[in-house]
Amino acid sequence: MTARRTPFLIAAAAAGALALSACGGGTLGGGEEEAGSGGPIKIGLLVPQSGVYKSLGDDMKAGFEVYLEEHDNQLGGVEVEVILADEGETADSGKAAADKLVKQDEVDVVTGVVSSAVMNGVVDLFETSKIPLVGSNASPTTLTDATYIWRTSYVNDQPGEALGAYVAEQVDGSVYFLAADYQAGLDEVTGFKRSFDAAGGETADEVYTPFPGTTNFQPFLSNAKSSGAEALFSFYAGGAAVEFVKQYDQFGLLGEIDHYSAGFLTEGGVLDAQGESALGTFTAMNYNFDLDNELNASFVEAYEAKTGLKPTTYAMASYDAAHVLDLAIEAAGGEDADSESINAAIGEIEEVESPRGTWTWSEIGTPVQTWYLREVQEVDGGLANVVIQELGEL
Amino acid sequence: MTGWFNAHFVSMVDGVAYGLLLFTLAVGLSLVFGMMDVLNLAHGTLYLAGAYAAYALSDGSWLGLVIALAVGLVVGLVGGGLLAAAVAPLQGRGHLDQAALTLGISLIAAEVMVMLFGAEVLPTAPPAALGGSVSLLGHTYPVYRLAFIGIAAVLAALVYLAFERSSVGALVRATVADRDMVRAMGVDTRKVLFGVFGFGAALAAVGGVLGAPIIAPGPGIDERVLVLSLVVVVIGGLGSVRGALLGALLIGQVQTLGVALVPSYAPFLLFGAMLLVLALRPQGLFAPGRA
Repeated sequence: MTARRTPFLIAAAAAGALALSACGGGTLGGGEEEAGSGGPIKIGLLVPQSGVYKSLGDDMKAGFEVYLEEHDNQLGGVEVEVILADEGETADSGKAAADKLVKQDEVDVVTGVVSSAVMNGVVDLFETSKIPLVGSNASPTTLTDATYIWRTSYVNDQPGEALGAYVAEQVDGSVYFLAADYQAGLDEVTGFKRSFDAAGGETADEVYTPFPGTTNFQPFLSNAKSSGAEALFSFYAGGAAVEFVKQYDQFGLLGEIDHYSAGFLTEGGVLDAQGESALGTFTAMNYNFDLDNELNASFVEAYEAKTGLKPTTYAMASYDAAHVLDLAIEAAGGEDADSESINAAIGEIEEVESPRGTWTWSEIGTPVQTWYLREVQEVDGGLANVVIQELGEL
Repeated sequence: MTGWFNAHFVSMVDGVAYGLLLFTLAVGLSLVFGMMDVLNLAHGTLYLAGAYAAYALSDGSWLGLVIALAVGLVVGLVGGGLLAAAVAPLQGRGHLDQAALTLGISLIAAEVMVMLFGAEVLPTAPPAALGGSVSLLGHTYPVYRLAFIGIAAVLAALVYLAFERSSVGALVRATVADRDMVRAMGVDTRKVLFGVFGFGAALAAVGGVLGAPIIAPGPGIDERVLVLSLVVVVIGGLGSVRGALLGALLIGQVQTLGVALVPSYAPFLLFGAMLLVLALRPQGLFAPGRA
C-alpha cells in the first residue's frame, strides 16, 4: 500500500502543479474579462487519471467534455472553466484531490468521483464547505442524507434490485449467488434478493469470493455447477469480471446455467477482453448505447466522433452531470450563480432529459429511472450489449 | 464416494495445474534460500516479468508463445544473475539486509512495470489452438490447463532428475549440505551459487510465461505469487526439489479442492495449512535429512 502511494503523491503533486499553473492563467484571463462579465464558473472534475479505475475516469471525462463541446463551453449561458483533478484509486488520493479542488482552486461545484470509498471520504468536506458535488458514478447505499451531494448514476444496490423480480419469474428452479466479498458485492446481492425473495425466488447458495485475491474461480464455479442451480447471479467488475466470464465459459457453465449480473460485468473495455465467452450473459443497467431516442442518437454520434468508442453508462452519467449543472446554473441566475444558489437550483430541477430517457430526482438525490435488461450478442462481427426489454422504473 | 469424486474431480485436476505452477516458482526460491542462505523477496517479480512478456508477445500463435518463452528465459537468466550479483556483497550480513535489498528491487521493478503496462490486470490468451475446453470424464475443462499440466510435469521431472540424479545435481546438493567442505575440495562454490540463482530465476520467469493465462499479470501479482511460494517452501522444507514439488502440489490442492469443500473459509485455508505445518513439523513436511 505504502509502496503504491508514493508515486501517487508524486503524480498528485505533478497534477497539482499543472492545474495550479493552468488555474493561475485562467484566473488572470478571467480578471481581464471581468470588466464585462462575472467571470467563468469553476467546475472541478474529479476522476481517476491513474490506477485501476483510469478507464472509467477517461469515459467520464469524455462524456463531460462532449456536453461542453455541444454547448460552446457554456453551462447556463456562462463560460465555464473545468479544473481536472486525479482521483487515483484509494480513498486517500481521492480525498487529497477533492481537498485541493475545494480549498486551493476554490471551485464553485465539483463533479465526477468513481470510487465509493472516495465518496464516503469526501462527504464531510462538501457538506461543511457547502459546495455541491454532482457525482457521476460512486453512490454507496449508506449515503442517504446529504444536502450538497447529488448523483446522476444510481445507487449501488439498484442494478440487482431491478433484476431480482425478473429472474425470480423467469427462472424455473434455484439461483446460485457468487459475488466479490466487499461492500459493492454485498450491496448488489442484497438489492437483488430484496426483489427476488419478494417475488418468490429460490436460492441455491450464496457464496462470496475473497477480494481482491481471487483469480481462480474454478472451485467456486465447480460448486455452482454441481449445485443443480438453473441460473447464477454474480457481481464482478474490472479485471475480475474478465477472469470470471472467461472461466465461466472454460469450465462449461456457459449455455448450461443462465448468467445474470449487474451491468458493469460487461460494460466498456472488459467486454473486448472477455471475447466470445461473454455471449449470452444477461445484465441489468440504466443505459445502453443502442437505446432508441433522439438525444441518445446525437450523444452516441458526438461521443463516437470524439473517442472512437461507444459511450458507456459512466460517460452517459457524466454527460448528464453537465446537463444538470447547465440547468441549475441557468436557474440560479447565470453569471450571478454561486455554490449555494446552484445547489438550491439542482434540487428544484423537475426532470432531466437524458440519453437514457427522462429521469427525476429521488428523495436522496439520485435518479429515478428506467432499468434495462441487456444480453451480450454478436453485432456486426463484434460483441455488444443489446437491450432486450425494460425492467421497470427504480 | 463416486458422487463426491465426481463433484470434485475438476477441482482436483485444477489443483495439480496450480501445484505445478507453484512448483516452477517455489523450487528456485527454496534452492537459493537453502543453498546460498539468501532470502530473495524479488522472486515474484520474475514471475510477473515473464507473465508480462507473455501478454506483450503472445498473439494467439505458436510462434508468439515460443518468442515469449525465449524472452522469458533471457529475462529470468539476466534478472537472476543481476540479483545474485546484487546480494553477493551482503554475504554474511544476515537475512534482514538481503530482504530489504531484494524487496526494494522488487518494489522498483513493480513500479516500472506499472509504468510500462498500466495498473490493470491484463488477461492473457493462450495460443488459439489451446483456447477451448474439452470434456474430461464428463466435465468441461480448459485445454490450456491440461497442456500446462503436461508441460509443467515434464519440467518438474527434468528438474528433479537433474538435481537428484546427475553429478551437477550432486554438487549442488553437496553445496547445500556443507558449503565449506565442497570449497575445500577445490570447487568454486560461487559459480554453483550463481548457476542455481540464474536457473531458479529462469524457471520462475518461464513459469510466468506459461502461467500468464492462469494467473494473469497485474500489479500486486508479484507479491501474491511470492507469498504462495514462501508458503510452499515453509511446507515443503528448504533446499529440496522433492520438498518444493510435494509442498506445491499440496498447496495446489488446498487452493482448489480445499476452497471447493469449504468456500466460506477460502481466505484462511492457505495460512491455516502453513500454521498447521509450522506447529507440527517446523522444519517442513518433506525436509531433506541434514544436521
